[in-house]
Amino acid sequence: MATPQDTPFPPSPPAESRREFLAGRAATAVAGALAVASLGGCGPASPPAQEGSAARRWGMVIDLRRCVACKACVASCKSENKTPPGVAYNVFIEEEQGTFPYVRRVAFTRPCMQCAKSSCAQVCPTGATYHRADGIVAVDYEKCIGCRYCIAACPYGARSFDYGHDYIEKAGNPYNEIPSSEYGASYGLRHKGGSPEGNVRKCTFCLHLQDEKGEYREPPACVRTCMGKAIHFGDLKDPEGVCVAHGEKMQALLAHRGNYRLKEELGNEPAVYYLPV
Amino acid sequence: MRFMRFLWHSARLATRGGAAYRAWVLFLLALVAWGAVAYVDQLRDGLIRTSMRDEVSWGFYVGNFTFLVGVAAAAVMLVIPAYVYNWKPIKEVAILGELLAISAVTMCLLFVLVDMGRPDRFWHVVPFLGLLNFPRSLLAWDCLVLNGYLALNVVVVGHLLYCSFYRVHYRAAIVVPLVLFSIPLAISIHTVTAFLYNGLPARPFWNASILAPRFLCSAFCSGPAILIIVFQILQRTAGLRIQNEAIWKVAELMAYAMFLNLFLLGAEVFKEYYSATHHVVYLQYLFSGVRGHTSLVLYAWASVACSAVAFILFLIPATRRHFVTLNLGCLLIYAGVYIEKGMGLVIPGFTPSTLGEIYEYVPTLTEVRVGAAVFSVGFLVFTVLCKVAVPILMGEFTAETLVRPDGGGSSLAPEENLQRS
Ligand code: SF4
Ligand code: SF4
Repeated sequence: MATPQDTPFPPSPPAESRREFLAGRAATAVAGALAVASLGGCGPASPPAQEGSAARRWGMVIDLRRCVACKACVASCKSENKTPPGVAYNVFIEEEQGTFPYVRRVAFTRPCMQCAKSSCAQVCPTGATYHRADGIVAVDYEKCIGCRYCIAACPYGARSFDYGHDYIEKAGNPYNEIPSSEYGASYGLRHKGGSPEGNVRKCTFCLHLQDEKGEYREPPACVRTCMGKAIHFGDLKDPEGVCVAHGEKMQALLAHRGNYRLKEELGNEPAVYYLPV
Repeated sequence: MRFMRFLWHSARLATRGGAAYRAWVLFLLALVAWGAVAYVDQLRDGLIRTSMRDEVSWGFYVGNFTFLVGVAAAAVMLVIPAYVYNWKPIKEVAILGELLAISAVTMCLLFVLVDMGRPDRFWHVVPFLGLLNFPRSLLAWDCLVLNGYLALNVVVVGHLLYCSFYRVHYRAAIVVPLVLFSIPLAISIHTVTAFLYNGLPARPFWNASILAPRFLCSAFCSGPAILIIVFQILQRTAGLRIQNEAIWKVAELMAYAMFLNLFLLGAEVFKEYYSATHHVVYLQYLFSGVRGHTSLVLYAWASVACSAVAFILFLIPATRRHFVTLNLGCLLIYAGVYIEKGMGLVIPGFTPSTLGEIYEYVPTLTEVRVGAAVFSVGFLVFTVLCKVAVPILMGEFTAETLVRPDGGGSSLAPEENLQRS
């Protein structure tokens, strides 16, 4: 299993916002279409290694007052999960509000909400998308037929389809030479015609960083990288649960100054909370 | 054994025909080949060959799928007057509706297949073979009802043609209940397809309870529009006897359906624009564009115009009975509903995306080619089925005529048999 410690750190792609992705997509689409099946060398895929610990309900508390909008979370996610162009597990959303001189910038990072009542698992025709015991919503690549119904259903835009796009046109980029360690399973090198290409992919709270007991050996990449310590990550089930990276008590953070979840009215019950600016 | 003989002779009949028939079949086969090459590219490179992206994750394929489910459901427009009201002129041609349903469902299933990112795993959604997430997922329901509807129509049509071929009476105890059962099943394939969209609170454009009724109304226009034109073609080319009353009756029913369709569209437009919540943005994207993005606007208005003009043509008895205006109306309905229930339904549901981004979707040549191939397969299925069914229907092609090639001397008119009284 590859972790950032034992693999050479791949050169980070530019930290892109959703908007920048969009602009770049059209240009790279042609090149992606021309990418050839020359990578090969993949072992048999195995299903996600573990089902997680039922004693836990992993969740996030994102403190917007501490976020400096550096987007390091997006970049670290890309390098941790080695996602190809167009596939983004977390995105950074920015918007200007008001008119000059009374303007302000709203900015936040958006991982998968790991909804307790997720729309994606509800609609998935094959049950490829499922809930683990620890509340993480995962995709079994072996079952996913790539119908993209879950993308239509997710209210948070948290799912990406792997359309087969590649960074390969950028010569010398080792991106395609290191297998992604997501799910702690070996899908081998991402190659034409093999999973996860043609599958839907999503943020997994970096569950490949869990140990056999389902505890985090180290925090998810975005949490680890966040320079403002804005992303807190820990167990929401345990009243005494603390952030695995920074040690704050999760429930205390939530009680501290009010919190909200995105699109609460849809009833998805996300496990990601925001603390207001 | 007897069934194999029936199949064998039918297959031989299907491979023979005049120059026009052969040219038509060759043309369709050429289109299939042209699209198949594009599909091979898509298989190799992935869906990056299409212009679908995460913002608009369904496009041309799923749009066509949705439209064709409506066409398939339209067989009931013939079955209901024929069997529930026992209206003889339509009863004589009801089987054509079932043939159309078979071809349309075939195209639907193919469109689902070409849209899959991992077609190698399609068996996961084959009922009883794969592991369907039933009953939670509406797509699982859709797979069940579509396959069920296909199987039912194949059984009914196959049995009827087989019996007519051997000039024996069909088994009413099997056929009549099956035909009656096909009515709720036809309605359910379209309802389930509507619910597939309807059940997503993330997409307010689809999350309106009026969606399923709108689907049904437009389906009851588009399917018969095709049938009316097919009736006339078969009248000319195969000498099929169809009474004009049957055609006019179908046209009249279409006028009612189109009225309801336009009415429900109006109700939807009123609710969105008058209450003017955030959710109006999707309808705005369709009809007036949002933030300068207007790629659907012309397309959407063309659909409304086609439907409205067709409605008037079908409403006035004089234009409904005149074959030029009738056919014009059919083409307009076909175009109007194709837009409305195809990409006019799918794209605005995704634009703007859940994150508020606008990605303007326009299909690539690959998508158009693959789509053309799927349509050609459907046309091919329909052509071959008609080629075999119509002579059987008219008593020109039976086990006896094969023995006596002059084809004469039938005392029991087989269409009597096909009326399944
Ligand atoms: S945010 Fe979307 S992808 Fe994540 S669990 Fe919820 S519905 Fe599923
Ligand atoms: S794309 Fe895969 S995970 Fe998503 S709904 Fe379809 S089968 Fe399920």
